[in-house]
Amino acid sequence: MFEIETGDDGTIILRGRFDAAQVETARKVLDGVSGSRIIDLRELNYISSGGLGLLFSVQRKLVDRGHGLKLVNMSPHLREIFTIAEFDRIFDIG
Amino acid sequence: MTGEFAKGLDALGEIFDFLGRFAARNGLSTRAEFQLGVVAEELFTNTVKYGAKTEKPVRINLEKVGSEVRLEMLDFDAEPFDAGEVPTPALSAPIGERSPGGLGLHLVRSLVDELTYEYRDRELRVLVTKKLET
Repeated sequence: MFEIETGDDGTIILRGRFDAAQVETARKVLDGVSGSRIIDLRELNYISSGGLGLLFSVQRKLVDRGHGLKLVNMSPHLREIFTIAEFDRIFDIG
Repeated sequence: MTGEFAKGLDALGEIFDFLGRFAARNGLSTRAEFQLGVVAEELFTNTVKYGAKTEKPVRINLEKVGSEVRLEMLDFDAEPFDAGEVPTPALSAPIGERSPGGLGLHLVRSLVDELTYEYRDRELRVLVTKKLET
């Protein structure tokens, strides 16, 4: 199960398992992001290179325009994957 | 435990269910189950993305031996693949110079203790060993 939702304040909420089969679902929302945003990962329990690659593409586009994503409420397991990918260098992780 | 899965991303849900049963049966930690999931997904999606399009299912064997897990993935109709030719991504480069390519195999290499590929007569065998925390 995977869900992506935009909250009333613009925060993007990811839930469930963000595997390679879910990338196109997430892309439909994330491709529309044009300014800085918070992504809440409190209910995200899994990510792999498919999800990481999409977040990376969005971040690169935003950074080019002087914006960026802030990732909040990341679990220790997710944090470990972000660290291995050295994504902690390119995302603001709160 | 052995499972066979259709060679397509739609099979990922079944693969995670299979891994979950293995983890429960063998008392794996949530961290070990999470990391085993990443490893299995990355190896499987590589066979889907870069392997031959075929009706033959991909077989996954999982075994816990002492304090380690062995995962074997068999693709019975595969294109030649040499993981040694896949470069490590430029992880420390600025974002504008980075590419997400090669990230999956980098995750696998980082999360396991041994990774071997064997290719023969269109059959690709990937064997992974991961030591568990004691």
